[in-house]
Amino acid sequence: MIEKNLEGVSVRWVIALKGEAEEIIKNYAMKRVATTPFPVYKNKDFDMWLILSGIGQLNAVAATTYLYVKSDASYNTIWINFGIVGSRNFKVGELIQIDKITSSDFQDNYYPSPSAFKNNNIERCNLITVNKPEKLFENDGVYDMEAYGFFSFAKKIAPHELISVLKIISDIPGTDLSEIDKHSVEILVSKQIQLIEKVLKNLLSSQKIIFLQLKDPKYFDEICLQKKFTFSQKVTLRKYLTQWQARFPQRNPLEEIGQRMTASQILKKFSDNLMR
Amino acid sequence: MVDTIYAEDEIIDTKKAQEIISKFRHAKVTSIKRFGEIFNPSNQNFRIQKTNPALILAKKQKGFVLDAPKGFGIGDQNNYYFSHMYNCLYDCSYCFLQGMYNSANYLVFVNFHDYQSEIEKTIKKHKEKKMTFFTGYDCDSLAMEPITNFINDFVPFFSRYKKVLFEIRTKSINNTVFRTHDPLANCIVAYSLMPEALAQILDKKAPSVSARIKNMKYLANKGWRIGLRFDPLIYCSNWKAQYSELFANIFNEIKEENIHSISLGSLRFPKSFFNKLLQYYPNSEELSFLRSNDKGIISYDQSIENEMNEYCRSELMKYSDARKFFSCG
Repeated sequence: MIEKNLEGVSVRWVIALKGEAEEIIKNYAMKRVATTPFPVYKNKDFDMWLILSGIGQLNAVAATTYLYVKSDASYNTIWINFGIVGSRNFKVGELIQIDKITSSDFQDNYYPSPSAFKNNNIERCNLITVNKPEKLFENDGVYDMEAYGFFSFAKKIAPHELISVLKIISDIPGTDLSEIDKHSVEILVSKQIQLIEKVLKNLLSSQKIIFLQLKDPKYFDEICLQKKFTFSQKVTLRKYLTQWQARFPQRNPLEEIGQRMTASQILKKFSDNLMR
Repeated sequence: MVDTIYAEDEIIDTKKAQEIISKFRHAKVTSIKRFGEIFNPSNQNFRIQKTNPALILAKKQKGFVLDAPKGFGIGDQNNYYFSHMYNCLYDCSYCFLQGMYNSANYLVFVNFHDYQSEIEKTIKKHKEKKMTFFTGYDCDSLAMEPITNFINDFVPFFSRYKKVLFEIRTKSINNTVFRTHDPLANCIVAYSLMPEALAQILDKKAPSVSARIKNMKYLANKGWRIGLRFDPLIYCSNWKAQYSELFANIFNEIKEENIHSISLGSLRFPKSFFNKLLQYYPNSEELSFLRSNDKGIISYDQSIENEMNEYCRSELMKYSDARKFFSCG
């Protein structure tokens, strides 16, 4: 489980159907916060949201976009597309992480980052997103109806290293699709919840690295509140304060700022000190 | 170790690609159309990828041999470089690669023969002129030798062109390939060096400086010609003492006559590269001395650069002939 109020944690799940999402919703104690245009769930203690997209690529893109806006997701957010898939290569119930996504409709392929796969020993394979349920399984890999749409948008709003597509095998050649109901899917997911947590843990450790990279240096907010800096001055201030911290860890830069100093005088003062 | 390999459809069945793939028996191999699908997209995080880099095998389509930047060289009129690989096994904090590329994955172009054809053409085109071909700028060729066999392929190739210099820039202490070939008079094994204490902080995953010196000595005794590359020179609080000690240690072990050339270079980045580095290493004291100049280049203050260059040159002159000194850019 994720610790409460963990700094920088931000997770979004995009899942087609309630049956696929039920165990995730329970495991992370999420509550419904919206019903239309898509049902949306949220954890009250930390920044984790889940959306039920419905079936198909268009729904997946629309739901991912909606959740991005609705939840005010930052760049440093983990995005996971989870659901059931069919395949001729795996057994029913296996958890698979997707390393290549192709579409029956589009030429471009997508490749989730291998950093998400590090040390978790979970099977990996390619995925083909199709427009109607696959019965023939002519190619190796797994078949779904959403991942391509999901990834095509997620890669625009988050680092590749924080985007994951996770699937559980629900049907293989010969499976009677009418027998796959909400209850049977919930059972498949509940059996893999520990492995799903393991994948999330990997993603969280990558997220922490990016969080530290994007974090403003110490005193940045205080100084910006004191004086009015333009956008480019803020960029320079951020750089100088980062260098300041490394060079003079014991010196408080706030003490260098005189009351009547302008933003450019402050920057000059920092620059002069750093030149020495 | 690499657990993911992407290989372009066009080359996946070639001998070189299969030779490399066979060295990673446990890696998952995924076919791709072009390396750009993995290597070029934006929104990739270099530092995270560096924790578990994938290997990409591809075919270089053009730009096999490139002109070296002006002012760069070790004495010849024409200077070229070529890169059969992008990114490095090591993880040096000041490395420009992490500012230049979106991806930290190792990209290897396996069509070595096409590089050799282009190099041959360049040599024939400029046969009147003295020329040097540099490798090891977008990667450390020697460090990846057990995987690529690049040097094993290129040392015999350059043995056919005795008047042309071939420089292998490295920090690696892998000397197997130099034991299996006779020393080549026109091949320079050029070591990137900095004071040990700085290297311990900055040259992550690279062999220690003392191990590099030991390896240089071994290679020199075998008859290989050695290059010393103090590029970049790193400024810190007691840099003078540190560099003096480094030079003394090197020349204590290696005879001056085994040194082909010595070059010194300053630490410089385009602004965009530097901003990324600062984000990656906010606590680096070494980066805190760098400033932007009028042309948008990040470097030490000119007075620091000049002082470092002058001091290091005068110290090196205690051990070596100044005619062997060159500047890296």
